[in-house]
Amino acid sequence: MMLVAGCSGSADDATTDTTSGDEDVTLEFAQWWEPELPDGSLRGLMDEFEAANPGITVELLSGPYASTKEQVVAGSAAGTMSDVVGLDGAWVSDFAKQGSLADLSTLMSDAGYDESQLASQIQIDGSTYMIPVVNFVYPMFTNSDLLTQAGVAAPPTNRTEFAAAAEAISALDETTAGWVLPLSLEAPNGIQNDVMSWVWSSGGSMLKDGQPDLTNDDVTSAVEYIKGLWDAGVVAPGALTMKEQDKVEEFTNGRVGMMIDSLAHINLIRENNPDLNFGISALPAEDGFEGERGIPYASWGIGVAENSEHQAEAWKLVDFLMSEKTNAELSSVAFAFPGNTTAVPDFVEEDELFKTAFDIYQSGFPANEFTGLPVAEQLMRLFDEQFQLMLEGDQSVDEMLAKTQEAWLAEF
Amino acid sequence: MRTTKQKKLLAQKIGIIFPLLLGALFAGFPVFWMLVSSFKSNSEIFEYPPRIITENFSFDAYATILGDPVKVRFFINSYVVSLSVTMLTLIVAILAAYAFSRYEFRFKNPLNMIIVSVQAVPPITLLIPYFGLMVTLRLYNTYWALILTYMVFTLPYAIIMMTGYFNTLPKELDEAVKLDGGNAITALWRVLVPISIPGIVSIGIYTFMIAWNEYLFALTLTRTEDMRTVPIGIQLLMGQHSYEWNEMMAMSILGCIPVLLLFLFFQRYFIGGLTGGSVKG
Amino acid sequence: MFILTLIPIVMVISYSVMDNVIVNKSPEFVGFDNYIEVLTDRVFYTAVGNTLFFTGVSVVAHLVLGLSFAMLLNTRLLGTMTKALFRVVYILPWLFTVAIIAVLWRLMLSPNGIVNYLLISGGLIDTGVEWLSSRDTALPAVTFINIWAGYPFYMISLLAGLQGIPRDLYEAATVDGANSFKQFLNVTLPQLKPIIIAMAMLDVIWTTQQFALIWMTTGGGPINVTEMLSTYTYKLAFSRYEFSVASASAVIILLFSMVLSFFYVRHQKSRD
Repeated sequence: MMLVAGCSGSADDATTDTTSGDEDVTLEFAQWWEPELPDGSLRGLMDEFEAANPGITVELLSGPYASTKEQVVAGSAAGTMSDVVGLDGAWVSDFAKQGSLADLSTLMSDAGYDESQLASQIQIDGSTYMIPVVNFVYPMFTNSDLLTQAGVAAPPTNRTEFAAAAEAISALDETTAGWVLPLSLEAPNGIQNDVMSWVWSSGGSMLKDGQPDLTNDDVTSAVEYIKGLWDAGVVAPGALTMKEQDKVEEFTNGRVGMMIDSLAHINLIRENNPDLNFGISALPAEDGFEGERGIPYASWGIGVAENSEHQAEAWKLVDFLMSEKTNAELSSVAFAFPGNTTAVPDFVEEDELFKTAFDIYQSGFPANEFTGLPVAEQLMRLFDEQFQLMLEGDQSVDEMLAKTQEAWLAEF
Repeated sequence: MRTTKQKKLLAQKIGIIFPLLLGALFAGFPVFWMLVSSFKSNSEIFEYPPRIITENFSFDAYATILGDPVKVRFFINSYVVSLSVTMLTLIVAILAAYAFSRYEFRFKNPLNMIIVSVQAVPPITLLIPYFGLMVTLRLYNTYWALILTYMVFTLPYAIIMMTGYFNTLPKELDEAVKLDGGNAITALWRVLVPISIPGIVSIGIYTFMIAWNEYLFALTLTRTEDMRTVPIGIQLLMGQHSYEWNEMMAMSILGCIPVLLLFLFFQRYFIGGLTGGSVKG
Repeated sequence: MFILTLIPIVMVISYSVMDNVIVNKSPEFVGFDNYIEVLTDRVFYTAVGNTLFFTGVSVVAHLVLGLSFAMLLNTRLLGTMTKALFRVVYILPWLFTVAIIAVLWRLMLSPNGIVNYLLISGGLIDTGVEWLSSRDTALPAVTFINIWAGYPFYMISLLAGLQGIPRDLYEAATVDGANSFKQFLNVTLPQLKPIIIAMAMLDVIWTTQQFALIWMTTGGGPINVTEMLSTYTYKLAFSRYEFSVASASAVIILLFSMVLSFFYVRHQKSRD
C-alpha cells in the first residue's frame, strides 16, 4: 500500500513518452485497422501526414480488434490512453461517459474546421466524441448459383420472397441452408447486423425519443419473421454460437444461399473461392414497403484521448484522415464507404459489385441505432440471450421483447 | 514354460500399446488436424466433406510468417520472456520450497495460504490494477513487466509443487549431509536438487508453457510491436471481419516446434530420474 | 514479488466496496451493496452451477487421464524410443495457446466439421450435431475441450513423481506377494499423494478461472448454459463497465478459494 501511495503522484507524468520539446511531438495512434488493411498501407498514409506536418511523428499501435476495447478501458483507467484512438460505434458512449474521450466539437471549432464535409458525427449529449472515418455497409449477399438451382429468378426484395427463396434453397440438399444467422454471445453484433437490420430496412426503429422501444410493431414483426424462418429450418446450423467470421466461411463455401454481410468481405470471398458466383442487393423489406431503406453499417471511428497532451496535433491527424483525398484512399484500401461526403473511393468506378453497393447505399440511408447507445454491446448481448431463448421455444416473441425492453431500460 | 512367459509378456505389451495408441489418438488428432489445416487454403479449411490433403496444398502460410520480420520478432520476444520467467521462477521456487518443506517458522501457514489463494483472483479483474502498477513502476511495455507478472502466476504453483516433491523425499537425506558436516545449502543443492531433477524439469516446462501461452496480460502490458509475443501475433490474425485460419494454424505449429525440441531434450531427465530416485531412503 | 501480488488484490478488494470505480471519477464508499447485487443475481447462481460442473468433471478427468497416461508411459515393457515418441504426442495439447485451442475445436466441432463428419461416416450419428451451439451439448463439449487441453499438466507432474518413488518399495511389495493392482494401491498412490493433492487443488482453482477457452468457444452461450463465474465477471467488467460489481464477484471467488486453501494448508500441517 505504501508503494501505491508513494508513487501515485508520479503516475500523471508517465502518460505519454513524447519528447518534451516545443516542436517535436509524437502522437500515438491506437487502432485495429493496420492488421486489417494491406501491409504498409496505413503506415504509408501516416508517412504522408508526417511529411505534411513536420515535427509530428505518428506511432501506430495496433492490436487485435477483439481486444481493442479492453486496451482502451485499461489505458483510460491508468491515464495512458493513446492520443488518437480507433473506435467502434458501440463503445463511444461508454468511453465518453468515463471521460476518456476529448470533446471533438471543441477541437473542431478551435481549429476552425468545416464540419459540413463529414458524413456523420457521433454525439453524446450534444457534443461529438467520434467521427466515422470509413463505413462498412451490410447489404444482402446472394449465391447466384444456388438461387438458380432452387428456381429463384432474382434476389428477393421483400420478406415473403426471401422466405420462399430460403426454403427453396434449404430444400436442395442436406448441407445447404437458405440463410445464415450468427448469434454468438462473445461478439453479439449479429443482433445489430443480422437481426435489427430487418427492422431498419423497413424503415422501422427500436428506439423512441432515445429510449428503447422494442415492443413496437416494427420490431415485433421483424422478430416474428425471423422466428418463422428459424422454425422453417432454413437457418444454417450452429447459429447460436456462430460468429461473423464463420458466417462468411459458410457463404464462401457455397453452403448458404443468402446472408447479410459487410461489403468488406467481397474481396475475401472472391479470393477464397474464385468460382463462387454471387451478387449483392438491398436488404428485403416488409411486403409493399416503398420508403427509403435503412442499411446497417459498422464504422471505423476515430476519437482523441482526453488525457492527450497534444490534442491540437491529434486533431490534425483526424483532419488529415477525414480529408477528401486521404479518406478516399483509406476507403479504397479498406473497401468501405468514405466518412467524407465528397470523397469517392476508386473501387466504385472499377468494380461492378461495389458500384451496385454504392447505389444501394445512396438510395437508402445508413442505419445503426446501436451507435452511441450506452453499453451498446451489452444491449446486444441482453437481446441475444432472450432472442436465443425465444428461438428455442422457451418464450413467445412478445414475452421476449417485453423482457428485453425491461433489461434495456435498466441499462439506460 | 518359456514360451508361455513370452506369450504373457507379449499380451502385456499389447495391453499397454493398445490404450497408448487410443490415448495418442485422443491427444494427437486435433493437433494433426491443425497441421493439416495449416497447409490448406482458408476456404478449404471449411470444406465439407473435409479432406486431409487438398488441391491447394502449400507452405504459403509458413512462408508468410517466416518472411515477416515483425512476426519473427514475436517469437524472439516470447523466448526471451518465457526463458527468463522459467529460470527465475525455478530459482526462487526451489529456495522457498526448501524452507516450506524443511523448516518451521512463524506465519508459515498464513503465508502458505496466501500463496495458494492469491491465484484464485480472476486475472481479468487484476488487469487494470496491474496495468496501473506497471505504469507507475515505469515497466510498462518492457520485458520486465511481463516477466514479473508471469512470475506472480507461476511462483505459487512452482512453490507448491516443489514443496510437494521435497516432501516426498525423506528428511534423513539432508540430515545425513548435515552429519557429514554440510550445511542446509549444501544439502539442498547437492542432494535434494539433483534427486528432484524430474520434478524441477516438469515445473520448468510448466512455467515455460504458462509464460509462452499467456495472452491477456501480454496484450495489456505491452504496447508496441517489438514487445508483442506469439499469442498476440496469433490473435492479430483474427481480424474484425475474417480470420487468417491457415496462418493461425501455421503460427501455432511453428511456435510449438521449439518447445517440443526443448521437451525432447529434457525428457531424458525423466528417465535419468529412474536411477536418481532409487537412492536408499 | 510479494508486494507485486498483494497490491493488485488489495486494490480489487477496495474497488469492491466502492461505487462504480474507473467509470466514476470520484467513487464513493458503498459498503456491501455490490456484494448484494452479485448475490441476488440469478445468473450468478447459474454461473456457479456451471462452474462446479465444469471444474468437477475437468479435474477428475484430468487426474484420471493424467495418472493413467503417466502409468502407461512409465512402463518398462516398451523401448525408450517408443516411449519418447508417445510422450511427445501426449504432451501436444499443452503446447498451444488457448486462443488457438478454441479456434481449432470450434472448427472441428462445427456442424460441418471433421468430428461430425467422422461420426456420420462411422454411422454413430445420423445428422450433424451442433456441439457448441446446442443447449444439451455445449457444456459437456466445452468441458471436453478443457480436459483435452489440461491433462498433460498432470501427466508430466505425475510422470516426474513416479520417477521419485524408490524402487525397493515395489520390490518389497512384490516379496509380500502384492499384484500390480495392489502395488498401485499401496505403493504408487500413497507416494504420489502429496503431488496429487497439490495439483488437484491448483487445478480446481485454475479451472474455476478458465476464461479465454469458454469465451472464445461459446461466449457463455447458447443462452447461458456455459456461463461461468469467469465469463460472468468479465461481462460485468468489460461489457457493462461495472468494475465494482465485477470486483465484488472476484472477491467472492477469492473467498471460496481461501476456504479451499485453508484445508490444503491444514492437510499439509497434519502430515507433518
